[in-house]
Amino acid sequence: VRLWRCRCRALLSRPAGAVRPRRGLAAGPEMHFGFQTVTEEERREKIYQVFENVAKKYDVMNDSMTLGIHRVWKDILIHKMNPCPGTLLLDVAGGTGDIAFRFINYVRSVRQRQLQRKLKDHQNLSWQEIFESYQKDKSNSLGDSQVVVCDINREMLKVGKQKAQHLGYTEGLSWVLGNAEELPFDDDKFDVYTIAFGIRNVTRIDLALQEAYRVLKPGGRFLCLEFSHVSNPLLSSLYDLYSFQVIPVLGEVIAGDWRSYQYLVESIRQFPPQEELKAMIEDAGFFKVDYENLNFGIVAIHSGFKL
Amino acid sequence: VRCQQVPPLRALQASAALRRASDEHRKEPLTSSSQQHFDSPPAGHQPEQEPQGPHTSYTGQGGQESEDYESEEQLQHRILTAALEFVPEHGWTAEAIAEGAKSLGLSVAAAGMFHSDGSELILHFVSDCNTKLSKLLEKEQKLVQLGEAEKKPIDEFLRDAVEARLRMLIPYIEKWPQALSVLLLPRNIPSSLNLLTSMIDDIWHYAGDQSTDFNWYTRRAVLTGIYNTTELVMMQDSSPGFEDTWRFLENRVADAMAMSNTASQVQSTGEAVVQGLMGAAVTVSNAETSRAVR
Repeated sequence: VRLWRCRCRALLSRPAGAVRPRRGLAAGPEMHFGFQTVTEEERREKIYQVFENVAKKYDVMNDSMTLGIHRVWKDILIHKMNPCPGTLLLDVAGGTGDIAFRFINYVRSVRQRQLQRKLKDHQNLSWQEIFESYQKDKSNSLGDSQVVVCDINREMLKVGKQKAQHLGYTEGLSWVLGNAEELPFDDDKFDVYTIAFGIRNVTRIDLALQEAYRVLKPGGRFLCLEFSHVSNPLLSSLYDLYSFQVIPVLGEVIAGDWRSYQYLVESIRQFPPQEELKAMIEDAGFFKVDYENLNFGIVAIHSGFKL
Repeated sequence: VRCQQVPPLRALQASAALRRASDEHRKEPLTSSSQQHFDSPPAGHQPEQEPQGPHTSYTGQGGQESEDYESEEQLQHRILTAALEFVPEHGWTAEAIAEGAKSLGLSVAAAGMFHSDGSELILHFVSDCNTKLSKLLEKEQKLVQLGEAEKKPIDEFLRDAVEARLRMLIPYIEKWPQALSVLLLPRNIPSSLNLLTSMIDDIWHYAGDQSTDFNWYTRRAVLTGIYNTTELVMMQDSSPGFEDTWRFLENRVADAMAMSNTASQVQSTGEAVVQGLMGAAVTVSNAETSRAVR
C-alpha cells in the first residue's frame, strides 16, 4: 500500500513528458541517477523501472557480468554471518532470493551437524526415546530459522518466488513487498539484517540505515554487501575499462537493455566509498562497525551491531 | 527507541535498555532519554530513584557518567561470562557464545562479534581463572601475615597453587583438549603465552621468590614445565577425584626441589673446578714468566 502511494505521488509530481526537472518547480532535492541529476521521486521511479526491466534476466546478467564471482561473494557473506539455527534473517532488496537460499542451506547443514552430535552424545537412550527425538528433530530441519525477503519491486519478488519453487525451498521463507526506507515491520524483530547489492539503489541511505537499526533486536547484526571503491590505480583503470566498455554491451546482448546496465555501472561510481559508508552506519547507531574488502575493493562487506 | 542526539560517551543503548528492563521489575520502563545526562528527570518519572545495583546509579546532576554506561568491551565480557555456562554442552564454539548472548536477552547474532573458533571465549576463561588464582593466593598471604596461618614450605605452596588452578578446569574438562588446541593456534600464541607466563610469575611472587639473577628464569621455566605436564596428565586422568594427577604433581614438584639441590651442588662443584683451572693457569703463566726472566 505504501509503495502504491509513493508511486502515485511520483506520477503526480512529474510534469507530463518531461524527464529533466524544471528549476521552478519544488519537486524535491536533487539526487544522482547514475551520472544524471534527478529529483528524489524521479530517482525512485527510474530505479523501479530499471529493476522491472531486468528482473527476468537478473541472475543471468549477474553471472555474465561478474563471471560467476558474485556467487562467491554471496557465499562469503553468509560465512561471515555464520548463522546458527533459530536465527531470524531479514534480507532487504533480496529480490531473487540468492542470499535467502544460501542462508537456508547453511542453517540446514549446521542443524544436521548439531543433530549428529546430539545423537553421538546420547548413546545410552532407550529405543523409544531415540525414536521420539528423531521424529521431533526430523520435522525441524531448520531449527526454527526463518528468512524474510523484502523487496520494493514486485517483479523481482515474482522471479524470486518462482526460483524458490523451482529449487524446492518451501519452509522458512517469506516474501514481503516493502520499501527499505520504511520497512513494514515492528521494532526489535530480527537477528540479522542483510542488504546485498541493494543499498546502492536506495534513495535515502540514512533512512534505510535507521530502519535497519529499528527492526533489529538488541545484539542484532547489520551486514551490507556492496560494490565499493578500488584504491589500487592499475586495477582501478582495468575495472573502469571493463565496467564502461563491456558491461553495457553485455546488457544489450543478453537482456536487450543497455541503459539499465549503464545506470548500474554509473551508480557504482556514485556510491560512497568504504570509510564514508562506515561513518554513515555508525551515525545510524551501530557499534563495532567494520568492513572487509573483497577483490581489492571491488566489493566490500560492511558489518555493524546494534548494542 | 531512537536517540537522535549522540552523547559524548556513546552509551550502548539497546543492551543497556535490556539490562534496565531486567533489573527493574517494579518501576515503569524508563525511556531512553534518561540515559543522557539531563539535569532534571523527564516528566512522568517516579520521584524516588534509589540506585538499583552497581550499574544503575542515577547521577541526574548533569554528571559525565550517564546511567547504565557500559563500553563495548564490558558488554563483550558479560557475553563471554554468560557463554561459559553453555560450554559443557556446545564446546568452546561460537554456538556457546550465541547461547550466552541469548541468555542475556541479546540476539544470537551478537556472537558475530567474536571469532568463529571460540578463541576469545577460551582466552577470557583462562584470564578469569588466573585472576581467581591471584585473589586466592593474596588471601592466603594476608592470613599468613596476620599470623592466622602457617607459612607453607615452598614445595607444598607450589603444589597447592597448581592444584587450585587446575581444579578450576574440572567443570570443563571434557572440552578442555579442544581449548588447548585452539590456544596453540599461531594467532593465539602471543596471548596464551602471555597469560601463562603471568600466572607462573604470580605463583612465584606469592611463594616469596625475590631472585634477581638467572634463578628467576630457571624457576619460572621449571614451574611452567610442571604446570603444563600436569595439565596434560589431567586430560587423560580417569581416577576418582583426579588422584593420579595430584600424585603426579607431587612427584614433579619433589623432583624440582631435588634438582635445585643438585643444581646448587653442581654449581659449587663447577665453581670449584673453575677455580682450580684458574689456579693452574696462573701457576703455568707464572712458571713461563719466571722461566723467561731466568
